[in-house]
This record gives sequence, structure tokens and C-alpha cells, in this order.
Amino acid sequence: MLVLSRRVGESVVIGDDVVVTVLDVRGDVVRVGVRAPRHVLVNREELLREVAEVNQAAASPSDATIAGLSRAVSQRASTTDTRPTP
Amino acid sequence: MHTDEVVVPDEIPVLELVEPLRGFPDHNKFALTRVDEAGVLCALRSLHDPDLRFLVVPPGPFFGDYTPEIDDETADSLGLESVDDVLALVVVSVGDSVESATANLLAPILVNHRMRRATQVVLNDSTLPLRAPLVTA
Repeated sequence: MLVLSRRVGESVVIGDDVVVTVLDVRGDVVRVGVRAPRHVLVNREELLREVAEVNQAAASPSDATIAGLSRAVSQRASTTDTRPTP
Repeated sequence: MHTDEVVVPDEIPVLELVEPLRGFPDHNKFALTRVDEAGVLCALRSLHDPDLRFLVVPPGPFFGDYTPEIDDETADSLGLESVDDVLALVVVSVGDSVESATANLLAPILVNHRMRRATQVVLNDSTLPLRAPLVTA
């Protein structure tokens, strides 16, 4: 990993068109601004990790689980029709 | 661009993910099938590994006011030409019991059902839950 020291207001350029600027440092919190083209996705790392965890938790339910949820969804649809009318 | 209510087609035998689901980098082709006749509960099954499947639902019947906004880059990557082409699905985690089932509203799967392409997007809206209760919704 490349390690650089930066002061508030200074930036790091990644590639030709991604600029990360240190905006503010207070205690152990650093605010950074990211300027990047629209096709470059910028996300908090832990958020992406959490999406992966939720996907993994959702993967491959058992046949019994699917049948149970299917029943619950059908019952719900028949008892409370919350679908918007066209 | 907003997603409208679209009925899940009977089946999409080969759905190509333009980006793999996070956590499953080796799977980019899935089949979308209905689990119930009404087409509410559906399954996404990996064509690379038939043991890998996900339950998905269209959000409309559960989360009526949920309208994920599709950015231009995602629309381009899916080849979307019209809002009629797009179908939003949310991934369901059942967990220990049916009552505890949740849906991921932060990262829906957007499907271009005309071109049979899909992608899971992480929406830029921190108020959307990763685990929204489903059955009691």
C-alpha cells in the first residue's frame, strides 16, 4: 500500500481523473472529498462489505424455507391487498 | 429515471449480470423463475452452480412507495431505453423464520427484461435499509 502524508486542503490524484482531497481533520475523524467521473463508483468500504454479507445471508434458502415464505406471501396478499390500484 | 410497476415475466432462462452480485464474484448468469403463480415470490438461480439461488420479490406489493432512482451509468450498462424495460427486484433473506424475513432495499437488482441484463446497484440513499422486514411490511 502506498502511504502519503497530506495536510488539510491537499489532495491525492488517482489515475487521470480521480482526486481525493482532505477537507478536515478532527480527532480521529478525517473528512475527505472525492472528485471522480460518474462511472467511478465511490462508496464507503464497510457498506459494500455489508451488502456482500446480506447477499451471503440470503443465498440458497432451503426448499422448506422457500415453501414457508411462499405460503406467507400468498396469505399476506389475500388478507391485505396493499397493491396500488392501476 | 424511476421504476414503474412491472409484472415479473414468467421466466427469464438466462439473465446476464453486468456486474456480479457482491460476495459472489464468480456468478454472472442466472435464471429468473417464479416460485408462486402470482409471480410475487421469484428465484434467481445461478447457471454456474444450481445449488446457489436467491429469493427475490418485486418491491411493489410490499413497499408501495419504494421507487429506486436509476442513475445514467446504470441505465447505460443495462442498455435501458425506456422505463418500461426495467424491473426492480429486492433480495430476500429469510433467516431463522419466515416472520424474520427481510428485504434489501438499499441494493436492489435492476433487470432490463427486454435485453435480459441485470445488475445489483447500491443506491445513494443512506435512509434505505439493508434489512427491511418483509412479511409484516
